[in-house]
Amino acid sequence: MEQTDKLNFIVIDDSKLDCFIAEKIIRNSGKTDTVRSFLQAKEALEYIGVAQPEEDTHTIILVDIQMPVMNGFEFVEAFEALPYDIRKNYTVYVVSSSINDNDLHRVQNYSTVKQFINKPLTSNNLASILE
Amino acid sequence: MAQDKIKVLYIDDEQNNLNGFKATFRFDYTIFIAVNIEQAYEHLQKNAEISVILCDQRMPDKTGVQFFEEMREQYPDPIRMLITGYTDIESVIDAVNRGHIFRYIKKPWTDTDVRSAIEEANKFYVTNSMLAAKNTELQSAYDELGKFAYSVTHDLRGPLLSVIGALDVAKTMDNIAEIREILGMMDAAVKKLDEFIKNTHEYYNLKRGKLVFEEIDFNNIIADTTAIFRIAGRMDNVRYTAHVSQNDVFLSDEISIKIILNNLLSNAFKFQRKTASDKFVDVDIKVENDSAIILVKDNGIGIHESHINNIFTMFYRATSEESGSGFGLYNVKDALTKLNGIIEVDSVVNEGTTFKVTIPGKANGTN
Repeated sequence: MEQTDKLNFIVIDDSKLDCFIAEKIIRNSGKTDTVRSFLQAKEALEYIGVAQPEEDTHTIILVDIQMPVMNGFEFVEAFEALPYDIRKNYTVYVVSSSINDNDLHRVQNYSTVKQFINKPLTSNNLASILE
Repeated sequence: MAQDKIKVLYIDDEQNNLNGFKATFRFDYTIFIAVNIEQAYEHLQKNAEISVILCDQRMPDKTGVQFFEEMREQYPDPIRMLITGYTDIESVIDAVNRGHIFRYIKKPWTDTDVRSAIEEANKFYVTNSMLAAKNTELQSAYDELGKFAYSVTHDLRGPLLSVIGALDVAKTMDNIAEIREILGMMDAAVKKLDEFIKNTHEYYNLKRGKLVFEEIDFNNIIADTTAIFRIAGRMDNVRYTAHVSQNDVFLSDEISIKIILNNLLSNAFKFQRKTASDKFVDVDIKVENDSAIILVKDNGIGIHESHINNIFTMFYRATSEESGSGFGLYNVKDALTKLNGIIEVDSVVNEGTTFKVTIPGKANGTN
């Protein structure tokens, strides 16, 4: 991602509190004001499919793993199936409370997932993303 | 009882031996005889419960050892015994050592030898079958435990990490209104955690607990159950009606009944449409003909067709609306299985859901 890009965020988490925390931390970082939260991964996917990001913007997706209906893995797989022209505008991070080895390995197998971040999201680990 | 007789298959190329064997043992055991291997396979195919096979070693096309070696691939369960004279002792020792046969019986055999061999073999067979059944049970318990541990880790850590995260954010807040907002959310997270722990407790009560059958007074149970919801403010803005018609004594396990009602009602209050102005939950309980029929009806968000078949699966959550633990309906189903009851669901998205539970009284139940 280019330094000159303007940053947007998409937070996908079925916990309202976790979305709220992520939004606060992202806004507090002072880097961006555009944070969209989705309680359902499906809705986020639909949004990404039709969204028309402005030129020179880049969007960071923070997605949880264990969610009802469509979980984080299913979301990433569906995301990877999107056309490159859409995908290139996004960077995906998985943010989860999981300490399950299988989950951690599975995350590593997705080429589009940049990093696994342990919950809770803090200003420190957000800073490491923004570096 | 005739069905309980041990089923024995005897293979020998001499018809006289077969006839003699059958005549001697047919009162004690169910005997199948085969004059060649082809016939033996026919019996095995048709009678899965054959537990003991005796086979003569010297036969024209194959030896008994060869037959056993070959048939056990397809039929590993029956206990194999070889009948043979002393001259074949080498091959017998070999066969026994390679684990193909349980015992050998010396020719000419005596009734007592054969009888004791059959009894021993059958004991071994029964033990093996029980072990196999226990292993299957154990395997499914392990599988469930694995799934359980995975989900429990998530469901216990999730709310805790949320609160830790929220505390971290709250430390930087100066605005009281904002702090109150985040406190409210932390409160919800902690309550969710508590609900999950209570559900886990229910789950183990159901798994480990013995049923205690006593007289059930549905009016009391409904009063107890709804009192909790009322205190928690969960019934606010929802028109709630309960109707109980019980004239007969109904025997069942009170804890199970409470778990069923509590979860169904909890869901009915929880999965309301937030914007609806005429929210309602109706409970109707009828005891007649020694069975109880419980209807729990709401006009909430409903359950989509594609999820209906999964709602009773552990940790399955059909919606991210509200704080489901993925435990509730699983526990309901589990309780009903124990009580020999059934549950039916009728639901339309955005119109509501009706659960119908039918529970037989103890007299009709399995216990």
